[in-house]
Amino acid sequence: MKNKRFNLLLIAVVTLIALWSLWPTWRDYSFSRQLSSFSSQQDSLNFVLSHRNEIEDARQKSLKLGLDLKGGMHLVMEVDQVDLFSEKAWNRDARFDSLMAAVAKEARTSDADVVDLLSAAFKKDNIRLSRYFYDIRNTDGEIQGKLRTEAEDALVRAREIIRNRIDQYGVAEPMITTQGNRKIIIELPGVSDENRMRNLLKGTAKLEFRLLREPDALVRTLDRINSAMAAGTVAAASTGKPSTSPLFDLVSVSPGGSAVIDARNRDLVSSLLRDATVRELLPPDSEMLISARPETGSDAVSYHDLYLVKKTPELTGGVITEAKATFGSQGVQPEVLMSMNSEGTSKWARITGANIGKRVAIVLDGAVYSAPVVQSKIPNGNSVINGIQSLEEAKDLEIVLKAGALPAPVRIIEERTVGPSLGADYIRAGFQSMIWGFSAVVIFMIIYYRMAGLAADTALILNVLIVLSVLAGFNASLSLPGIAGIVLTVGMAVDANVLIYERIREEIADGRTVTAAVTQGYDKAFSSILDSHVTTLAAAFLLYTYGIGPIQGFAVTLMIGTAASLFTAIVVTREIFQFLLSRNKMTAKSFG
Amino acid sequence: MRIFNSTSINFLRYRKIAYGVSLAILLAGFVSLAVKGLNYGIDFRGGSEVVIRFEKDVPVGEVRSVLRDAGVSGTLKQYGLDRSFLLSTVFNGDTNDLKLLITSALNARMKDSPHEIVRIDAVGPSIASDLKWSAVKAMVAALLAILLYVGIRFELKFAAAGVVAIFHDVLIVLGLFSLLGGVFDVMPLEMDQSIIAAFLTIAGYSITDTVVVYDRIRERIRNQKPSEYERIFNESINQTLSRTIITSGTTLLTVFVLFIFAGPAIRGFAFAVFAGILIGTYSSIFVAAPLVFDWLKFSKTPVKLRGSQKS
Repeated sequence: MKNKRFNLLLIAVVTLIALWSLWPTWRDYSFSRQLSSFSSQQDSLNFVLSHRNEIEDARQKSLKLGLDLKGGMHLVMEVDQVDLFSEKAWNRDARFDSLMAAVAKEARTSDADVVDLLSAAFKKDNIRLSRYFYDIRNTDGEIQGKLRTEAEDALVRAREIIRNRIDQYGVAEPMITTQGNRKIIIELPGVSDENRMRNLLKGTAKLEFRLLREPDALVRTLDRINSAMAAGTVAAASTGKPSTSPLFDLVSVSPGGSAVIDARNRDLVSSLLRDATVRELLPPDSEMLISARPETGSDAVSYHDLYLVKKTPELTGGVITEAKATFGSQGVQPEVLMSMNSEGTSKWARITGANIGKRVAIVLDGAVYSAPVVQSKIPNGNSVINGIQSLEEAKDLEIVLKAGALPAPVRIIEERTVGPSLGADYIRAGFQSMIWGFSAVVIFMIIYYRMAGLAADTALILNVLIVLSVLAGFNASLSLPGIAGIVLTVGMAVDANVLIYERIREEIADGRTVTAAVTQGYDKAFSSILDSHVTTLAAAFLLYTYGIGPIQGFAVTLMIGTAASLFTAIVVTREIFQFLLSRNKMTAKSFG
Repeated sequence: MRIFNSTSINFLRYRKIAYGVSLAILLAGFVSLAVKGLNYGIDFRGGSEVVIRFEKDVPVGEVRSVLRDAGVSGTLKQYGLDRSFLLSTVFNGDTNDLKLLITSALNARMKDSPHEIVRIDAVGPSIASDLKWSAVKAMVAALLAILLYVGIRFELKFAAAGVVAIFHDVLIVLGLFSLLGGVFDVMPLEMDQSIIAAFLTIAGYSITDTVVVYDRIRERIRNQKPSEYERIFNESINQTLSRTIITSGTTLLTVFVLFIFAGPAIRGFAFAVFAGILIGTYSSIFVAAPLVFDWLKFSKTPVKLRGSQKS
């Protein structure tokens, strides 16, 4: 029988491929067992050195564990398209800002397309998009198209910059993909310092060099804001108690003309500075900024500096070619040295030359890091950021400056972080459920169907092997929901065997011989098995299509397991029976 | 070993009672859904969840008051792990702030019982609405696909009754989630993504069970007079009864194992699938096939089935 040979060959090939694909996983496991068995560190180091290639090879090809089992971060970040488009608009006014604020609010709670929201908002107010965007001659449709392209570009650039940052930070096997037109999905296995990671990812890294306004301009401006607040025309200034000089309760001005605020009042002041009425009180082309880091004064109170700077930057971070974290001249204060390209170098020379004796603020993402006085013309394009608290922070600044500025701010809109200790718990839990679920079904099948149960159990083992090997072979990772999928598959995979065996029992009860009953049983049960598998596969496939992350892991194992059980439960068990029948080892009793 | 040896139960005779029972349970679920609603998890509601584990046993009240004093809003509950608590609070883009607030408060006030933040989940409102839509789309697509497939393989009446049975199973489980949501500390039964996965699993399982019964009916109903239908339906259900119960049994066994061992993250899912399989087994016997029978009786036309085997 040619067909029979083919089936046997197929089973052998499938088993071999499955084992081959899982071999690196086994090697990886035994290497780590061996490593932990060494008593001294020297021994294990020697072992690693002498087996380096094999260990790395095994690790690379072994079955990966998902973020939830290994510990790590899953982040979804969103490119702020409202900000991106606002930056693109060319004559922004109060009306535009309020429209955009409304669009931003709407976009934050829904998944709708921002360009659509924007057009709808403009249409409702009967404003043509061309009043603010691109050329006045453009139609709304053209502008929508341009904005969409802009958004796509921004997303791709943001992804590349974020990838650069992560690569420079050094994370093993990060996964960075985009979803839709404004989301970036980031998977970072085994990240230990999540706080730092978040800080590294979320900053726009927009670096600007801005001239400071004269000190008396700052004092005059603060006076104006103060009297406006005292007159009660500023909405955001609800500090609670009425006062004759409400602003100077928060801000103290030194005789030299510099202003500081208590670190505890920082949020209050920054919200005050965002207020529209306050912004109107500033001199033209000016902005009030707060220093990035608090400094601790002699009275042990930490305070932030307040700066009045020109709104138009003299120079932006686009000219930076190199950044290096280092320690300053006294050797204790960390700082970041930067060098510029030729265009930046000549501009920087001109700016510094023209402003000797004045102060230039170095502003990163809207916060002032330092505002040194220009001593002399700087001809070589060097600049330095200080006012940094730790070397770690300096290193992070180096990374973000090197990777470049994001085209628009990004926000973390979803985060799932699992610590390594919980991951270890999950692994234990998943392993236990696999062992117990598997054993329970295996034992039940033997008790209920005797020898035929044993055949079904063999098929079941092969089924689990196939699921794991497909995961390992396709570099997919095993997550806790994935394990749940396997356990569930184990329960459902015997269904095909149950269908067949019940049928065979019926045929035997009808008085057929064992051989005839086996043939009839397989033939008659096949249509039910096919229908039931197709429906389960369809449900799992839809789950995979519409689900995300963890749910996909479940859907994948369920799909592989169900598809594999079509093969294992039908072909494998049948071959076992054929073999046993040919040796006369089967009787009616074999089916329990 | 045999548990169900050639049974001959007249299932169809009890179908009216079964319809009544099903309707009553469904109604209870609907009332609960209308009155109490569902307990949405952060996947669909948006928000942040932080799991804090302590090295020693600490009373929940103490942790709660420490966090409240620190200005952390939200609810704190015992989590299904050892010495762990789950803090649910509003979504805030900056998880660092939240973490810092919790850590500094707990370190300052509960120095002698060190803690660790083992898990943080934060879902923004736009993602939540996104996930909700995906869930709805997946369910609708699944039902349509099943209707189509069973319609092609059998006949529209069979397919429709099968989909009714799926609705029956999923809605009862949904009702259970509403009724029991928040009742048990070990499983809050929140609606989240994993429950949608459970619903689709239930849908797949329910139709599988139903199709097996249908298949037997199809095999036997060829060239039979409508007057014989009742006998054929009953016999078919009886003949597949053993398989139905055994498969449900093995699947329930594994799902039970998941419920016990796989930890709190999987518990709601395992509960849903467990309940769904029990109900799905019941519905394939007492709801799906009897509905087809009543429909055939009502329409009085002999059934023409596709894909019948020659035997």
